[in-house]
Amino acid sequence: MKNYAFRKVMFRIFLYLLMAFFLILTLYPIFWMLSGSLKTESEFFSNVWGLPHNPQFQNYAEAWQRAGLGMKFLNSLLTTGSFLLILIPMNSCAGYALARLSFKGKKIIYNYLLLGIMIPAGVLAMPTFTIVNEMGLLNSRVGLVLVYSGQAISFGMFIMRNYFISLPKSLEEAARIDGSSDFGAFVRIILPLAVPGIVTQVIFSGLANWNEYLRANLLIRSAELQTLPLGMASFANQDTINYPVMFAALAMATAPVIVIYLVCQKTFVKGVSQGAVKG
Amino acid sequence: MTIGKTKRLSSSRLFGYWMCLPALILFTIFVIYPLFKGFYISLNQWDGFSSMKWNGLKNYGFVFEDPVFWQALKNTFIYAIVSPVLKNVVGLIVALIFVQPIFGSYFFRVCTYIPYTFSYVIVGVLFGWIYNPTFGLLNNFLTAIGAEELIRGWLSDPDIALFSVIMVDVWKCMGFHGVLFMAGLNAIPQDLYEAADIDGAGTLKKFWHITLPQLNSTLVTGFLLAMTGAFVNNYDVVNVMTGGGPFHSTEVAIYTIMTTAFRYSNMGKANAMSTILVIFVAIVGFIQLKVMTRDENYE
Repeated sequence: MKNYAFRKVMFRIFLYLLMAFFLILTLYPIFWMLSGSLKTESEFFSNVWGLPHNPQFQNYAEAWQRAGLGMKFLNSLLTTGSFLLILIPMNSCAGYALARLSFKGKKIIYNYLLLGIMIPAGVLAMPTFTIVNEMGLLNSRVGLVLVYSGQAISFGMFIMRNYFISLPKSLEEAARIDGSSDFGAFVRIILPLAVPGIVTQVIFSGLANWNEYLRANLLIRSAELQTLPLGMASFANQDTINYPVMFAALAMATAPVIVIYLVCQKTFVKGVSQGAVKG
Repeated sequence: MTIGKTKRLSSSRLFGYWMCLPALILFTIFVIYPLFKGFYISLNQWDGFSSMKWNGLKNYGFVFEDPVFWQALKNTFIYAIVSPVLKNVVGLIVALIFVQPIFGSYFFRVCTYIPYTFSYVIVGVLFGWIYNPTFGLLNNFLTAIGAEELIRGWLSDPDIALFSVIMVDVWKCMGFHGVLFMAGLNAIPQDLYEAADIDGAGTLKKFWHITLPQLNSTLVTGFLLAMTGAFVNNYDVVNVMTGGGPFHSTEVAIYTIMTTAFRYSNMGKANAMSTILVIFVAIVGFIQLKVMTRDENYE
């Protein structure tokens, strides 16, 4: 028995050591970014590890201005926002129809739309570029948003359909007795029940496109239309760069997603366990 | 009465199609059409501006003769196999800590997931500095603990650069895979462990004979998710961190496709490469799709 208790204590110590190891691995680079962002350029190189002796908060103002972060944030907000405004209603409608209505060819439509899961959007980047160019939508937010929306359908539709299937069967009957039209019943009775599913999709699809780089890099050419990841990549690739200022820009670019994550932490965990995520 | 009923029925039927229509249109234009368009361009000689000139399968011949493409394909596969394995191993380890009823495990879970919310660009820029040979954290740390012999040019040594890049992706995703495994672990029925306790099985034995087999489907899902993602995401990290170098040692397929298209203005060849990549990815993606939809029934 004594042996058992001893082993239990040892196991616990081992767990905490492991936890400490992974915590340092995760948090130290983030801490390093934050502390680096407050150093002077010479201190950045002489004091690699520690906290800044004399925090340079003006690095943030300089980074905001030099990287044009205001514009990049606005572009990312507009792009991700309009993407969600198209994607969510479109996938809610399709997901609902494919989950709960019966019509000829439903299975074919469902399987057709699912094809997109086999092909991650990025591998289609090359022909997508040509198509967007042909449509005259190269270097425009509209082009980028349409590409994002079209290429995010499969996964979102799949999630929404699963969500609608899980709702009780009697809903439509209740709606019919209520005397609503088909679409009216969908909007007023069924859609409100699907809000948790919609929130999950907003968070995961929204985050994926907020961070998207490959297609944005291909389709957006001018600096004033750059989204945040594009802006950060070109800011970091400059030849004459002040490193603490660059770290300040990185810190500001990550801050909003960290805040959203910490606030909606439960939704993130629920979404992952429901399989709402693309790798 | 009958007329009313028929009318209602037919409008209901059309209703289903109307609801699917917007998704069908956008999906066809931006997923299915590019698929065929890419294949069609790959059969032509084209610089992207002047008119296309049909040349059959010649571009595929050029692609297979191109040693850089083979190198890139090899790197892509190393990336697409090594990163899912590592992500899942590390993910399982952190998940086993998440589910322990000990002080701090919740905080630990919240923290490990944070890097997953970052874009690859940001993670890439940050780790470019962590790997920096003179000022970076990693080599400074190795000096501090007296392990100077381990100091490397993490991104400049062709033998290890690809693995340095892969580790960045693993760092970003370990919390995500941890949460995925946590859901799997929580779904294991507790009575399995109770029965094993009665049989006197030790912790390791229980892990090997109960936990791992029960996590089978989580493992498959996690691996496939990481793998299809890896074919694409590797471009972001590589583009920001190494630009494919040194000596093409970190060059991945999408990177080669981009340089072929935009540096060498060879759209035909770039689309041939892209078509080859799509085929490989679609094979993995097909398995993923089957796994995701395996317990579905149509009514």
